[in-house]
Amino acid sequence: MSRRLSWEEKLRRLREFCRRERRLPGYREAMALMQFSSSNAVFGMFARLAREGFVHKGPGGKLSPTGRLTGSVRLLGAVAAGFPSPAEEELADILSLDEFLIRRPEATFLLTVSGDSMIEAGIHPGDLVLVERGASPRNRDIVVAQVDDEWTLKYFVRDRDGVRLEPANRKYPPIRPRRSLTIGGVVRAVIRKYS
Amino acid sequence: MSDAGSPWRLDGFPRAIAHFDGDAFFTSVEQALDPSLRGRPVVTGKERGIIACASYEAKALGIRRGVPLWEARRRCPDLVVLPSDYETYSLFSKRMFDIARRFTPMVEEHSIDEGFADFTGLRRLRRGDYAGAARELQQAIRDELGLTVSVGLSLSKTLAKLASKFRKPAGFTAVEGRHLHLFLARRELADVWGFGPNTVALLQKFGVRSPLDFARRPMEWVRRLLGKTGVEIWSELRGDAVYPLEVEPKSAYLTISKGQTFTSPSTDPDYVYARLVRNAESAFIKLRRHRLRARAMVAVLCRHHYERRAAGARLNRATSAIHEAVPLLRPLFEAVYESGASYRATMVILQELENDAEEQPDLFEDRLRIERMRAASRAMDVVRELYGKHRLALGTSLYLPRHPKTDRDEKPWRRTHLLGGETERRRIGIPMLRWPV
Repeated sequence: MSRRLSWEEKLRRLREFCRRERRLPGYREAMALMQFSSSNAVFGMFARLAREGFVHKGPGGKLSPTGRLTGSVRLLGAVAAGFPSPAEEELADILSLDEFLIRRPEATFLLTVSGDSMIEAGIHPGDLVLVERGASPRNRDIVVAQVDDEWTLKYFVRDRDGVRLEPANRKYPPIRPRRSLTIGGVVRAVIRKYS
Repeated sequence: MSDAGSPWRLDGFPRAIAHFDGDAFFTSVEQALDPSLRGRPVVTGKERGIIACASYEAKALGIRRGVPLWEARRRCPDLVVLPSDYETYSLFSKRMFDIARRFTPMVEEHSIDEGFADFTGLRRLRRGDYAGAARELQQAIRDELGLTVSVGLSLSKTLAKLASKFRKPAGFTAVEGRHLHLFLARRELADVWGFGPNTVALLQKFGVRSPLDFARRPMEWVRRLLGKTGVEIWSELRGDAVYPLEVEPKSAYLTISKGQTFTSPSTDPDYVYARLVRNAESAFIKLRRHRLRARAMVAVLCRHHYERRAAGARLNRATSAIHEAVPLLRPLFEAVYESGASYRATMVILQELENDAEEQPDLFEDRLRIERMRAASRAMDVVRELYGKHRLALGTSLYLPRHPKTDRDEKPWRRTHLLGGETERRRIGIPMLRWPV
């Protein structure tokens, strides 16, 4: 026997799915997500979502999530009688700053930089970087790596002789790992907040 | 080891349920964030004086959960002792379950560091077998969070949990239907989820030596000896899943409890009572945050040697206002407090919760008084939002600073390394690495 989920729980699951997939679930996916046993229930749910302004029904009946669902426009206030306001319609496809900076929320960490090895790439001592763990670096990605037991922030460069870690600071030479190289993570963004 | 005999089922995975269990979760989180801690004996629980979690390096030295700190330090002078950082552990926990939900929507958040995932049917979605999918989950947690989980994969929750314990840390154990008898012969009765020392003793009295012996007994025999729960465990061990995964996030609280261990034991009744009231305040804050109200309240006092005494009472109406509940707290406290005894913790449990949104009309209620209490609660919540928790508190909290502060009041690293704009109460919800770059 499947239990019925509350409306809040359905919204929570849908939001999580949208955040993860950047799209709405298909019928089959929605059935699994909501533990529905019939696709009719999915139809009913989407109808209510459209009525309450969580999804937008475009030309040809194509559904898309609105800001009300993705949660970026909460400050705009409640929508009377469930009709989305013009402002909300326009804001249907906006990203939050978190989504803009973070590709994989589960794998992303903050790290305060203390060294100046990447200063010419615009990463200063005291800056925060967003590090994604478990990602394989591509050529010229900035990585946090442990080279021969030493932690470092460098460009990841693959060349004919293997892997080279290159600083963005003329004061330092490039490093070639001798014994070991562990990629801690790939830097996806840098944050500097001026007070 | 006894001969396992012949199997009672010949199938593979009619159900595929994985149990994943964080290996020394709290200390592993600390080691994932701070590389200088890797390979060293690390424990958490500095603020309590008792070890909450010991890393595998510390376990190798015989130091485990529940051991007093002074004893652990005596055994290992190089021990790294950290205050617990539950905020960061919770962030990791949430991520662990988010990763699991990428594989299947059927995920149960069993506790902060362990969960269940139902993979049944995923073979059709993912190429490869169930074991492959479960290993992939294990690897993703390792790659993305930098910590290991031990995974058990089998036909029921009880079997999966038994399997995840089989090899630790970073272990992987898959037991399919046709191999159940071989696996159960190699486990102890005490390892089975739900078998406490009394049950084990009882079973042994009846000549049951292993989980396999138990699973081979007739159902009627099990029912007579252990009742319905026994039959459930028996079915689960035989590979017939009885317990469903609880995939609902724990938003619908059955009870709310708040308890805290003192930094050092106390014999001062005013202090112990003040701590009890403080827990009640915290519990009511949580209650209001979830828009609930409670109809019953329990006060618990823990003695120095883990002995607990509790007393509970029903309120005459369900409430979300601490002012309505606090007059009840004093008599509850008096009922369990023994003068001269040394106490180490207090706890308040709120029960019979209901939704606070619905009106509860009652002709005999004093509307004005109730409205005043509601207003007071609202004011407390506003002050809390603006200035922090417990800045505006009940008068008994004046007894709180009476207690001498010790070095155990140390805060976790994250709380002392705030970013510009972060406050004592609110920090960015992303864990912070301490890699020296």
